[in-house]
Amino acid sequence: MRALRQRSLPYLLLLAAGVLALMFVMVPIVLVVVLAFFDINLVSGAGTYVGLDNFRTEIAHDEFARSLRNTVVYGVLTVVPSMTIGLGVALLVNGLTHGKGFWRSVYFLPVATTLVAMSAVWRWMFHTDTGIVDTVLSPIFGVRDWLANPDLALGAVAIVGNWHQIGLVAILYLAALGSLPRDQFDSARIDGAASWNVFWHVTWPALGPTTIFAFITTVGSALQAYDVIAAMTQGGPLGSTETLTYMIWVRGVNYFDIGRAAVLSIALLALSLLVTAAQRTGYARRLEEGGTR
Amino acid sequence: MKAAGQISRHVALAVGGIYMLLPVALMLAGSVTPTADILAGNYLHNATLDNFAQVADRVPLGTYYRNSILVCVCTFLLQVVVCVPAAYAMARLRYRGRDLSVWLLGVLILIPFQVVAIPVYLMFRAVGLIDALPALVLPFVGSAFSIYLLRQFFLSLPGSMFDAARLDGAGTPAIILRLVIPSSRPALVSLGVFTVTAAWNAYFWPSFVLTSDRAATIPFGVVDFVNSDAVTDYGPQMAMATLSVLPLLIAFLFAQRQFIRGLSLAGQAD
Repeated sequence: MRALRQRSLPYLLLLAAGVLALMFVMVPIVLVVVLAFFDINLVSGAGTYVGLDNFRTEIAHDEFARSLRNTVVYGVLTVVPSMTIGLGVALLVNGLTHGKGFWRSVYFLPVATTLVAMSAVWRWMFHTDTGIVDTVLSPIFGVRDWLANPDLALGAVAIVGNWHQIGLVAILYLAALGSLPRDQFDSARIDGAASWNVFWHVTWPALGPTTIFAFITTVGSALQAYDVIAAMTQGGPLGSTETLTYMIWVRGVNYFDIGRAAVLSIALLALSLLVTAAQRTGYARRLEEGGTR
Repeated sequence: MKAAGQISRHVALAVGGIYMLLPVALMLAGSVTPTADILAGNYLHNATLDNFAQVADRVPLGTYYRNSILVCVCTFLLQVVVCVPAAYAMARLRYRGRDLSVWLLGVLILIPFQVVAIPVYLMFRAVGLIDALPALVLPFVGSAFSIYLLRQFFLSLPGSMFDAARLDGAGTPAIILRLVIPSSRPALVSLGVFTVTAAWNAYFWPSFVLTSDRAATIPFGVVDFVNSDAVTDYGPQMAMATLSVLPLLIAFLFAQRQFIRGLSLAGQAD
């Protein structure tokens, strides 16, 4: 009896978490694939098997290619600046003798804010002509009215996305810089290496695992971009800020087109898995290993 | 030479600091400035709390705050109840299928919630839990990320600690309650900061399951308000945004270290 209790105990401890994972992740994953093959009427609750129809209509639709392209472009517009500026901030702060904690807090502050509420503030900042962005930037660069311009709106969304996560990347790099082994730097300095060389041959490889982690984090939030778009542009103008995640909401909750929303969800899943796969190959793998020397 | 380097670092950080702080400063200044003054760019000239009064008149602030707090507290407490035992089993106990469960955890972390939002939404619709608080809490209770975070911490606790307790005749439930939880304060604080921040700021999932003010949390209220007939009332909009941002902002100023630790662990799963 006691032995049986001993043996079943681990499963009892795992039970609640297991049931919830089954209910809210594993079953839904299967469902999302199944739903893509059905035409669901939400009012009557009836579903009709339609084969590949949902895939055909969704993929042939302009909006699909556009939301896929917007998602990738938004990814490039946020991942690259967030990582380079985040690393830059971390290197600047790390080399300070005074005020480290102060600047760390300043840059981290946006991370703790409600993104959707701050997007409402940013919408006012991007307001045509009277907003601060137009009053400051349009005399210098000649660009104005970002949110009404299909060529600039996604850039505006990216400016807010970067604002919200630069601090997070900086904190990750700061933590890594703080735990780097000192002796490597000292020996490099004795060798008389220039600081650029020290960075490239010692610091950068040692930061490898953090770089991978920051990359996964920023790509993840790019794929899930929703809050800024919902509060600032609602996909417009002319669909120029419609991303995959935003379109899942539009199709599923706004138009009640569950089948096509499921197709978009599968596309999002595929993109997420692709990024994970990329993380395990090539340069990423070398970076990851670089730090474990 | 060295001083010049330090000063140029501060200058560079200050330039970027404008980008970081300007939106928050404008929001706070705008929240106490009448809309007409905001449009004219005269922040703080006639400081007033009128914007907040207008917001309180037009939206059920009390309901929003109550719902937001309930969602945060329930999500965190239920996560502790569900995730601590699971993480302990996966870190410290031997059982058949352990490798499989750890591998599965790694896979589950990788799946963004956005992918399963549609079927989960249909499930809640089917049982009539749309526009209700449980719908905002339940999907996030068995968080793979929280289990992962706790498991990493339990793995780092010294094994001798557990052996001693077992020799004293303590059973597993007693070990979890009297040994694991008290010695996991840093991990639980990190988890709390991460969970509460995520729940307080969440908007994607609420925009699926909320349809009215009944179960609405503050972010939902902000968007509702901003897109309502108040679309040009910038003063009240800034006040509404402030009401959403301020509680966590104040908490951040008081507990920066815990926040930075908790949120920087947040990376992988969201």
